[in-house]
Amino acid sequence: MKTVLCFGDSNTHGQVPGGTPLDRFGPDVRWPGVLRKELTPDWFIIEEGLSGRTTVHKDPIEGDIKSGRLYLRPCLMSHAPLDLVILMLGTNDLKARFNQPASEVAMGIGCLIHDIRELNPGPKGHCPEILVVAPPPMLDDIGEWEGIFSGAQPKSHQLAHEFEVIADSLEVHFFDAGTVITSDSADGFHLCEDAHAALGKAIAQEVINIGWAD
Amino acid sequence: MPDMRFAPPNPIRIADRASGMNAVSVRSYNERLVLSLLLQNKGLSRMEIGNRTGLSAQTVSVIVRSLEQEGLVIKGEAVKGRMGPPTIPLSLNPEGAYSVGISLGHRHTDVVMIDFVGQVKFYTSLPLPDDSDPTNHSKLVATVQKALAALPTKQEGRMAGIGIAMPEDEEELALGPTGMGERFEAIGKEIEEALGIEVYVQNDITAAAAGESMFGAAKSLDDYLFFYIGARLHHRLVLNHQIFQSRAQVSKPVGLIDLEKRLKSVGMSGDVLWERGTAWPDFGKDTTRWLQDCVAELKASLESASQFLPVSTVIVSSYAPREVCEEITDTLKSACQGVDARPGELQPSPKALGAASLPFSSKFTVET
Repeated sequence: MKTVLCFGDSNTHGQVPGGTPLDRFGPDVRWPGVLRKELTPDWFIIEEGLSGRTTVHKDPIEGDIKSGRLYLRPCLMSHAPLDLVILMLGTNDLKARFNQPASEVAMGIGCLIHDIRELNPGPKGHCPEILVVAPPPMLDDIGEWEGIFSGAQPKSHQLAHEFEVIADSLEVHFFDAGTVITSDSADGFHLCEDAHAALGKAIAQEVINIGWAD
Repeated sequence: MPDMRFAPPNPIRIADRASGMNAVSVRSYNERLVLSLLLQNKGLSRMEIGNRTGLSAQTVSVIVRSLEQEGLVIKGEAVKGRMGPPTIPLSLNPEGAYSVGISLGHRHTDVVMIDFVGQVKFYTSLPLPDDSDPTNHSKLVATVQKALAALPTKQEGRMAGIGIAMPEDEEELALGPTGMGERFEAIGKEIEEALGIEVYVQNDITAAAAGESMFGAAKSLDDYLFFYIGARLHHRLVLNHQIFQSRAQVSKPVGLIDLEKRLKSVGMSGDVLWERGTAWPDFGKDTTRWLQDCVAELKASLESASQFLPVSTVIVSSYAPREVCEEITDTLKSACQGVDARPGELQPSPKALGAASLPFSSKFTVET
């Protein structure tokens, strides 16, 4: 059995659009659960989604713990050995408080890739395969979140390209979630039930496409 | 020392893709490895590509993604595996690249346009202009333009280049009008200037062998002996995909000229021998004798080569009807134990198709 770590934000956690972090889709509805169903019985799926998680930024308002970089290392150690790490982050880096262009968010993803490679939490101390998933673009209308995410929408459309550039440079797998799903209109950046289903299936196909020796 | 891990990203593939195929100035060795493999095999999964190239899964993933975005590679129908979601086979996109091939001969000039998997999209054969024609080859440039026009308008940027199969055999050049060799030599530059498309020139027999290796009967072969029956009989040795030709342009007289002579000596016309795609009438025992002499020559070459080299496969190529090549390969097989002989598969003009393979191998493969 192979093990995959799904490292992400509220959209990996399964937060219901328009809801709070406590409004969470059920285990079989959120995309890591869909992935589990698709890949069973060959894969063990670990869900590590945290609402508000950034790539590398300690959030001055929500707290240092929202930094993906801070938590990634202990998280990898806790779950090692890992065959695959999926990174789906980036939307929270676009909050006005961080003032980052899309290319810097991609650099943050690059930083996490380097951290994984430094730790080598794969089987026999090898590096696990890494799949970077670019989140779908935000909708223009994000309601009351407009203040927090001021100016984020156009940048969110650039994330896929910038992430792909990083994935290319560092030679890791890449998937653009925007090719199969869109954000939900309830808040403009979370995923509805159908989007979780489509994303889980698409990622399962990407996992298979990597090719795994028996 | 600066920490280069956090220098600006340096994507070697993605940055180029928006500008289209021709702008990819330097295609990496690894990309060429993957494309070469897909030229030989269709429907490979990413894992198979990794296993057969020795590239890591992540490198294959990046390369395949960029080749897909360039339109050179396409996903096939998913194949259901033992368990889990089905795997997706990858192949070259036939519409990903095109190429024109020209074969210059002492009687005809053949022009083809092919797609990325070697399917013929345009073919025509021109007679050689006579001595009084003041230009070099007046109809050729116009014909190549016609071949280019056969390309769907949406795919205009996908022309990889023009290949020319250049006859160099002294004996064969002597069959044409005086100065034909020099005229042929000048054609490549003329076409390049008139059309602004890169021209690749190769010896005609070597080009025909390259074509069989890329698209034809030799696709799966590493080593083989290649024979081409034109006016005369030619041969090449192919070892580990490399085509060798001796410095001396040696050809044997038992070609179609020889057959024509034999037919004439008994009062028959050999005109049909020079036509493309026309079945031969029953010439009776004269062809049989010619065929036996031809096979004897092949057998002798094969025997001398196999004293030194591990070759047991023979490809016999010609624009002559396939049945003729088949009869030759069948006779050769029964004369030589353990030898696999196959007729070439490039039709209607093996040299022109071989010429068309040249831009592909130069732009997309690891072979030089």
